[in-house]
Amino acid sequence: MDAVSDTPDTPDTPEMPESQFVLDDKTASEPQPIYRMLRENSPILRTDEGGTVISRHEDVEFALRHSELFSSDMDAISIGNVRPLIPLQINPPEHVKYRRLLDPLFAPKQVALLENDVRKLSNQLIDDFIDSGECEFNGSFAIPLPCTVFLRLLGLPLEDLDLFLEFKNNIIRPPAKDQAEFERIQAETGQRIYAYFDKVLDERERQPRDDLMSGFLEAEVDGHRLTREDILDICYLFLLAGLDTVTASVGCMVSYLASHPEQRQRLVDDPALVPGAVEELLRWETPVPGVPRVLTDGVELSGEELQSGERVTVLLGSANIDEHEFPEPDNVDFERPANRHLAFGGGVHRCLGSHLARLELRVALETLHERIPDYTIKRGEEPQYSMGIRAVEYLPLVFTPPARTS
Amino acid sequence: MKVRVDPDRCVGHGRCYALAPEVFEADDMGHCFIPGEDVPPELEEKARIGEQNCPEHAITVEE
Repeated sequence: MDAVSDTPDTPDTPEMPESQFVLDDKTASEPQPIYRMLRENSPILRTDEGGTVISRHEDVEFALRHSELFSSDMDAISIGNVRPLIPLQINPPEHVKYRRLLDPLFAPKQVALLENDVRKLSNQLIDDFIDSGECEFNGSFAIPLPCTVFLRLLGLPLEDLDLFLEFKNNIIRPPAKDQAEFERIQAETGQRIYAYFDKVLDERERQPRDDLMSGFLEAEVDGHRLTREDILDICYLFLLAGLDTVTASVGCMVSYLASHPEQRQRLVDDPALVPGAVEELLRWETPVPGVPRVLTDGVELSGEELQSGERVTVLLGSANIDEHEFPEPDNVDFERPANRHLAFGGGVHRCLGSHLARLELRVALETLHERIPDYTIKRGEEPQYSMGIRAVEYLPLVFTPPARTS
Repeated sequence: MKVRVDPDRCVGHGRCYALAPEVFEADDMGHCFIPGEDVPPELEEKARIGEQNCPEHAITVEE
């Protein structure tokens, strides 16, 4: 496998932030062989373009557990923000104060209240394309499902969907020729994001509603109201964390199932397997392949010395197929008895939205399998993946349309 | 059999009470709590499933 060592040297590849250099768009469709090669040959891989990639399960788990040493603060990654994002870029012990406020809002009990809404929305999206017998899945389902759920949850107008997509695309995949333009687009977009939420908060202060934005204005941490900046820093992170990740996850899962008809059929025949399938496909696909961290002190991992200040990509995707943790890691088994996958990270920064993501993914697979159970990749076409977050940006599906009854 | 959760390790993945709600429950934060440490024989398998699926290794079962 030359892909990894070749990638950083390719002359036309623009410089990208550290999370994107090991894998490129070409390898994003099937990163697992590269993960294996990294673990076996270069478990601590130093790259020119700004990061050290750690890939063994043992090291990944250690990094996630030691957030004081592997910090996710602003030095780890810049995404157009001028203050630390809350709660991700806040280090312990401050961090826990915000999680105590936010975790209950996204606990399984709370997100379960959204299930009917998510199911209805999922069915409506399918209604729009079902009669044609085909769809481009990313645009017609994977993008609108989580984005609509997000806008409703925060209480924002659905007409702002395109604006939100522009915001998050400009931050996550800025259309840039070089690093300077990359950072300029991110910074400009960041200012627009702050301004957007600032305006909404002004409106909610005048006229509170039954939504998350109004809730933040009332919320207290340690007996103090959140400041306006606190709320903006929470919303900024929500926008970046809540949209692209579920889009990528549902895309990766449906792409896998469309290319593995026997696996898809198992779920169609026995929907009770879907929750286990969601976990197993999160493990196998790991839609967020790596998370950026920066070391606050020196540490030894896999026999190598890492220095304080060193930037690290913690390769969750590789840890999730490490045979030291998962027997027969390449076997995608929806009934895997022990599945301690790290697709949502781990330690104190465990993905806040993981339970909402699980709900959306389960309901998406359930409704798709009920309505269009025989979907496959359109003949002569191939899904196209992008790297960073593994979005399946082009996913042409065909299926049998329902029989028309007059 | 006894089952215990280390509250300093639990960060609310919620795998235990999703897979074995008979043994594990969720608090308001979505973190795990165990109403009773003693697991009756018919729930031992469930307790083990929770333990084997905790990404933080926060759950321990003792025979």
